[in-house]
Amino acid sequence: MPDKPSDLVQGTLDMLILKTLALEPMHGYGISVRIEQMSKGVFRLNAGSLFLAIQRLERDGLIDGEWKPTENNRRARYYTLTAKGRKRLNDETREWGRQAAAIARILEAS
Amino acid sequence: MSLLRNIATGLRFLFRRNKVNRELDEELGTYLEMEAAEKMKQGMSRKDALRAVRLERGNPEVTKEVVRSGGWEFLVDTLWQDLRFAARMLRKNPGSTIAVVIALALGIGLNTTVFSFVNALLLRPPASVKAPEQLMEVWIHNPRSSGMMSYLPLTYPDYLYYRDHNQSFEGLLAFDGDPHSIIWNRSGEGQVVLGQLVSGNFFSLLGVNAVLGRTISAEDDQAANPQPVVVLGHAFWREHLGSDPSIVGKSLMLNGANYNVIGVAPAGFAGLLVGFEPDVWAPTAMVEQITRDTGRLSNWHGHWLIAVGRLKPGAKASGARAEVSVLERQIEMDHPDLKRNLDATAFPATLIPAPYRIYVTAFTALLMAVFGLVLLIACANVASFLLARATGRTREMAVRSALGAGRARLIQQMLVESTLLSFVAGFLGLTLAYWTAPLLLALKPASLPITLRLPIDWRVLVFTILVSLICGVAFGLTPALRVAKVQVASNLKDETQPAGYRKSRLRSILMTSEIATCTVLLVCATFCVRSLRNASSIDPGFSTQHVIAATLNPGSLGYSDVQVRAFYQLLSERIRALPGVTVASFTDHLPLGPAREQTAVTDAMSPAASKKDALPVDVLRVAPDYFQTMGISLLRGRDFRSSESQEGSKVTVINEALAQRLWKGQDPLGRRISVADDKASTEIIGVVRTGKYRTLGEDPIPVAYLPQLASRRTLVVRTSGDASALLDAVRREIHSVDPNVAATDLETMQQYMSLPLFPARTTGLLLGVSGFLALALTSIGLFGVISYIVSQRTHEIGVRMALGAQRSDVLRLVVRHGILLTAMGLVIGLGMAFGAAQLLSSLLYGIRPTDPATFVGVALLLCAVVLLACYIPARRAISVDPLVALRYE
Repeated sequence: MPDKPSDLVQGTLDMLILKTLALEPMHGYGISVRIEQMSKGVFRLNAGSLFLAIQRLERDGLIDGEWKPTENNRRARYYTLTAKGRKRLNDETREWGRQAAAIARILEAS
Repeated sequence: MSLLRNIATGLRFLFRRNKVNRELDEELGTYLEMEAAEKMKQGMSRKDALRAVRLERGNPEVTKEVVRSGGWEFLVDTLWQDLRFAARMLRKNPGSTIAVVIALALGIGLNTTVFSFVNALLLRPPASVKAPEQLMEVWIHNPRSSGMMSYLPLTYPDYLYYRDHNQSFEGLLAFDGDPHSIIWNRSGEGQVVLGQLVSGNFFSLLGVNAVLGRTISAEDDQAANPQPVVVLGHAFWREHLGSDPSIVGKSLMLNGANYNVIGVAPAGFAGLLVGFEPDVWAPTAMVEQITRDTGRLSNWHGHWLIAVGRLKPGAKASGARAEVSVLERQIEMDHPDLKRNLDATAFPATLIPAPYRIYVTAFTALLMAVFGLVLLIACANVASFLLARATGRTREMAVRSALGAGRARLIQQMLVESTLLSFVAGFLGLTLAYWTAPLLLALKPASLPITLRLPIDWRVLVFTILVSLICGVAFGLTPALRVAKVQVASNLKDETQPAGYRKSRLRSILMTSEIATCTVLLVCATFCVRSLRNASSIDPGFSTQHVIAATLNPGSLGYSDVQVRAFYQLLSERIRALPGVTVASFTDHLPLGPAREQTAVTDAMSPAASKKDALPVDVLRVAPDYFQTMGISLLRGRDFRSSESQEGSKVTVINEALAQRLWKGQDPLGRRISVADDKASTEIIGVVRTGKYRTLGEDPIPVAYLPQLASRRTLVVRTSGDASALLDAVRREIHSVDPNVAATDLETMQQYMSLPLFPARTTGLLLGVSGFLALALTSIGLFGVISYIVSQRTHEIGVRMALGAQRSDVLRLVVRHGILLTAMGLVIGLGMAFGAAQLLSSLLYGIRPTDPATFVGVALLLCAVVLLACYIPARRAISVDPLVALRYE
């Protein structure tokens, strides 16, 4: 492995999963691949933390899971964003933007 | 919403575990499959792809465990798993499990027993009382004195003043602190009932309503016009009046007067004093009629009322305290002639009056400390048991952790095991307490009119659960942490026992502290048991065999002096005529009881003697033949004559101690003393041997006997044979002389002596039990540890013997360890025991808390027990066949 993948900032995994699902319903592996692609390989998810986060989001009612067949004849659970999830995503994106901007301002000040 | 969903999913997991697990398997499987498929597209073989995925993503079993551990149901589930597993593990090893559980159950049980006393005496609020936390007791306090004696209850005029002038309380009630033995004339037969005098607002302020009729009202309790009414205790009404539903309106003949029954108190209500369940309540204003004692309502010197106020909403305890202090000063300003110069204060009300609380607390704290130490020893046993087992299970733990169990999970499992152990023990302990608490209560002398309830209520339950939990966690944690530190690889590879230095050091520390604690308990126990033996053999100065005592008070029935004298005259004749009775007499009170009369005496013939030299002297008033009846030897002079019992006859018999103090070495007969402020002097006609008067442990007290007796007397009867055989005959004679009179304490002198011996007996028994338990538990624990160490070293011993070590060498090797632990434990323990014994010194009779024989004896005993505990495993060690030992691995 050329570059060691970075660990996610605490608490941001939930937001990334919600963002991924906002585009289209997806299964676990799909989410992990999408996050890896979109981050250009910076974030690589561990299956344990991914499914732990999915389980948590589902219990909080932010996403809904449903068994569907895959192209190679297996079953996978596809997850959809709920209305509550969409609202949470918006809130968190806004909050993240605010904080990131603030941190950037601090780091740029010299 | 999401909480409900969370619970629902969790429950679904718990009840449909297989399905949920399959789904997780499937989802993860698909995930890995998809990833492998991706890799295969890049040209890998399927086998290589799967391997690569596994390497990159880690063990799927671990992943599953991680995902599962995210929900709350996981905790429930694993706890349940661990619990079942723990039960299986404990069952696998029944012998040691039972030993450990019994040890712990004894420890927890005894502590629960003591706590049930603490609960009954100090924690339980008065039953059936509304909002007891708002109640405050008011006490007069002498700032120049200290301890229990510095507090006084209120006088009746005090009470009225405090009641009518305070701003802090919604109302102030009062009740008589002393129970009154009242004679109930039940159709011609006297029967003793216990009465309490209460103020008119007593019931209403406590929020207690009558179940039948009404309670005492303020109108009943007017000093100018007191009403002869009583409220009955529920138990008395049930047991003696057959729960008569039409009792209200009837009357009871009490102390020779009729009292109207106005109501029945609710079941369970017993007033505000612990241990005292009144049969009847009467208004305080009736005090002079009931006690036949005039002046109680008007005088400022008779302190007899405990006052309790209910704080107004919003009022603070500190405010009430400050206010009563001000009220006391106002009383003293209004009545400068009182010259009492006292203070007043208020305490939160509990069932034990405030001034006594500290003594009860100190005594129960001592018991808690003693039994806490026993529990500590039991816990040390549990800890070394778990530690030994934990060492043996290192491999099991290594396997578990290789299969994906995290460190927390392993600790959890070990803790569940130790807590299960302690909870089983806690349950058994609670059962034990249920049986032993009433047993402990049976130690109390029968003559104390105390009824104490020791319910296993929620406080006792919470206490037991907490103690069990603390034992389980505290003593399971060390072994658990140790186990969780397993080195997976080395333990799986290697079969050798990891009997590391640290592990045996921890066990040694445990054993050393166990021996030290045991030493402390044994030393204290030995002191108390020896002191009990001393106390039982102390000569009280009178015979405790062949004597019967009974307390009578015909005057309380309203008899005149002439009638009283006639009654006693006839009684004396009838009792003396009884077969088996040699002689009988009367006294105003028995020595070593709670009653006491004190006066000041000076030598009337010495011109120099002034009031300043007055000697404090205890006074006993006795009838002729008292000394003969009680077996007190008359050393010089003569006994009283019956003609001398008249008021105004100035003769006295003194004890040797008084004679020595006044006229050392000279003949006191015919000399005269001045008693108190009496102008006329009193002649000494006899000298008797000094006995014990207040406590068994006292130094000689000077005593003067006077021949004048009041209406309240104790009849003493000397029998030629067994005293208890004549108890009934004496009761019958009293009844036949006057059926209205009933004796309050009819008992043999031997029974009576259980009162002065009570403290020594209680501490002797309790500490004896604790010392014995400590010794037993320690030797079991030591035996277990030494056995374990020997079994761990079987291999080593085999090698040594194969290389030519003698049996004695091996024996020394094994025993040395035990002796080393014991020596360290003894040194620490004896030091602490020396300190602990000083705390006991006030409870000890005839033995100093530094007595060297006790310390040496305990040390020798412990050494002997330890040697035995080491010897048995050591013998097993030397009988090891070297060949077997070497093949052992």
